[in-house]
Amino acid sequence: MTNETMAPQQAEAFRTQTVRRHQIWTVVTRTLTTMAMALGMGFVITALVSPRPLQAYTALLTGPLSSPARIGIWMEDATGLILLGLAFTLVFQARQFSLLAEGQLHLGALVAGIVALHLPLPIGLHLGMALLAAMAAGFLYGLIPGALKAYLGASELVASLMLNVIAQRFYELLLTYWLRPPGAGYNWTDPFPATAILWRPIPDVRINIGLPIALMATALVWLLIYRSSFGYELRVVGANPEFARYVGIPLRRVILLGIAVSGIPAGLAGAYLAMGVHHRLILNISLGLGFEGIVVALLARNNPAFVPLAAFAYSYLRIGGDIMERTAAVGSDLVRLIQAVIILFLTAEALFEQLSHWIARRRHLHVGS
Amino acid sequence: MPFIEMRGITKVYPNGVMANHQVNFEVEAGEIHALVGENGAGKTTLMKILYGMERPNAGEIRIRGVPVQIRSPFDAIRLGIGMVHQNLMLIPEFTVAENILLGVEPHRWGLWDRSATLQTVRSLAERYGLSIDPEARVADLPVGVRQRVEIIKVLHRGVDLIILDEPTALLTPQETQELFRTIRELVKQGKTVILITHKLREVKAISDRITVMRHGRIVGTLPTAEASEEELAAWMIGRRALPTLKRPPARRGPCILRVENLSYIDEGGRAILREVSFEVHSGEILGIAGVEGNGQSELVEILAGLRQPTAGEIWLDGERLPAGTPRRIRSMGIAHIPEDRLRNGVALPLSIAENLIADRYFEAPFSRSGWLNPGAIRRYAEDLIRAFDIRAPDPEVPAEALSGGNLQRVILARELSRRPRLLLAAQPTRGLDVGATEAVHHFLWEQRSNGAAVLLVSADLSELISLSDRLAVMHDGEIVAIFPEPQRLSEEEIGLYMLGLRRQPLEREEGS
Repeated sequence: MTNETMAPQQAEAFRTQTVRRHQIWTVVTRTLTTMAMALGMGFVITALVSPRPLQAYTALLTGPLSSPARIGIWMEDATGLILLGLAFTLVFQARQFSLLAEGQLHLGALVAGIVALHLPLPIGLHLGMALLAAMAAGFLYGLIPGALKAYLGASELVASLMLNVIAQRFYELLLTYWLRPPGAGYNWTDPFPATAILWRPIPDVRINIGLPIALMATALVWLLIYRSSFGYELRVVGANPEFARYVGIPLRRVILLGIAVSGIPAGLAGAYLAMGVHHRLILNISLGLGFEGIVVALLARNNPAFVPLAAFAYSYLRIGGDIMERTAAVGSDLVRLIQAVIILFLTAEALFEQLSHWIARRRHLHVGS
Repeated sequence: MPFIEMRGITKVYPNGVMANHQVNFEVEAGEIHALVGENGAGKTTLMKILYGMERPNAGEIRIRGVPVQIRSPFDAIRLGIGMVHQNLMLIPEFTVAENILLGVEPHRWGLWDRSATLQTVRSLAERYGLSIDPEARVADLPVGVRQRVEIIKVLHRGVDLIILDEPTALLTPQETQELFRTIRELVKQGKTVILITHKLREVKAISDRITVMRHGRIVGTLPTAEASEEELAAWMIGRRALPTLKRPPARRGPCILRVENLSYIDEGGRAILREVSFEVHSGEILGIAGVEGNGQSELVEILAGLRQPTAGEIWLDGERLPAGTPRRIRSMGIAHIPEDRLRNGVALPLSIAENLIADRYFEAPFSRSGWLNPGAIRRYAEDLIRAFDIRAPDPEVPAEALSGGNLQRVILARELSRRPRLLLAAQPTRGLDVGATEAVHHFLWEQRSNGAAVLLVSADLSELISLSDRLAVMHDGEIVAIFPEPQRLSEEEIGLYMLGLRRQPLEREEGS
């Protein structure tokens, strides 16, 4: 038996307030420190591999802002990352490690492409229908690993990775045997009609109306997680599944829907790549972008409100890296390396958090005989 | 000269619990020594100190008269001391032989020598007369055999003293007999055995000497032949002064909960509950006493809808309780204070408010057509924080910032604010200090005055005696007695029933 003493009112109040202040501060300072340390490390590596490290690193750090066209490229890239980051913040709320976004993205692009090319609809309706169909495809595909996990206990991680391959191959199959113009010697479709393209308001700048759509999606996902009873269920299941079961939250349904609902922004990301970036379906449409959403969600601490910020920051690094590669002849490997360093720092930090959590819990636990 | 000598051992855990206080403990070479006591008496702590898993704050250990420092289990094994834990520490995917030789695998030319491994295990098993298939996968073996694997593993490290922590807790009677044969064989071959247990019948059957612990101290050591079970029970449970609590008068109403022939067999095929029947009336607290692990936890979890019974019926207010989900059960007016509040009583990362609405977030005014109403949730949480005196500055504070007593208040607030018809309270004061304990007692009595039926499971006998209107005693999955006036009983008397030494005749008077 323990005989812990109950703290007086003030002490308890002080303790809890410190906890809250501590939380906000750690999020801000830790994120900044992580970035700074990763960038510093990146410079050390650049200095080792480049004859003109300063010039190369300047290209990386200022390149994306050096022209309106480059800003447009950055925004265009960040938009896709926002949607994918949202997908992962949703599924990670319930502590489900489904990595299905890549597959959901392919199906979303595929379905959007089919609507764009083969379903003639009036302006406005055409666009909306294509986006909706893509979201539905992402959702429905998520039901498969969701059901496997919820009702059969199959690992959502393994199932989602395998279903990713299936979705990608299915996309390629339909693209090469059906959607591609007959007899064409290339692996892409005809361009979409103007009614199924995300509009670019500024000539010669790639930024498009996908960005406000992604920001709206951010607000909706935030509302869903923090203001809906479904989001509440997701968070309870993620915080303590035993507790969820005990208070009567329908655990299986929450897991099933959690994995499926995260497919909505992922499917939308697919439609975005097809209708906003390429304006057609092409063979390697994603290049693993579906997995980059994990980094964004991690950077954003799983909070959708931080996802746009994280996506812009991460995308800045991606685009800056491209520019550095072209202007300063530094291999794209270096950029990947810096990205890897960021992820490393982040996971190490998650470890810190786990550790302090564990210690706090140990303090609460009473000791047996 | 004794083989093992522990002198003046004191152990205080960082949370202030004094697990061992000035303990002197001796073991002779070649004996089977039983270390008995209630849960929390400090038996396991003392043995963990001997095995190097815990460091004492004070005291010394001598082996054959030589003072030794045991800083880790490695030290202990080097000194010839091995321990088999209650929760077996085997890798289920590995074979028996692989588990036994893990970390000390024989090698040939830098590679693991499989045939030598098998040979080693076979010869060990043969030497001690333990039948085992070295190539079987541990996951496929019953618990009794797994335990044998652990024992061989310890023997292979060449120890002279084997500590067995509650070895029969998970065993069937047949497996227990098998284990006892093994223990006798070990002693015949010159080993010494310390057996941690609280089952007196087994102690009488196997041990040479007995040491009794209570509240972190040694009560005494005596030869088994001279000990009577009654005397041991009195030593274990002690003679505690009953706290004087003012009992509000009972207003017993109609029967709320009726349990009929409830049985439960767990995944491992062990019978946990055997045809349990009882009633709880409105305005009454039925206490359930019993040594932990005799089916009380499972009984409560079945009533809360967290487990499905194997057989039997549960009636609430004359209505048969369907096999339902916890949500359905809760909606019928059953509240549940879980025995391990950190495991499933709270979601630590979520706020106090979010913890308080966990079973009603889907109802108005907390949510409407799927959307939460933060204002209503906050107001509701503030009301409960006030009513239940939860010490927190704000409902948005995460639950993990609260102390144990305050966490329990959060749980009580959630469970009691719905005015349940039936309250299941499992170990509601475990780990709480005096003030928080009193608050819990107050809340339980308030429920009783409000006409709720209360089922109280507790490891604290004095708490049960002072709170219960009737007291049932469980042993080995059965209710062996129901006493109408527990205040007239002594703890020793109840202890005899708890330990299975006595039982009421079957035609007991129900509903008196």
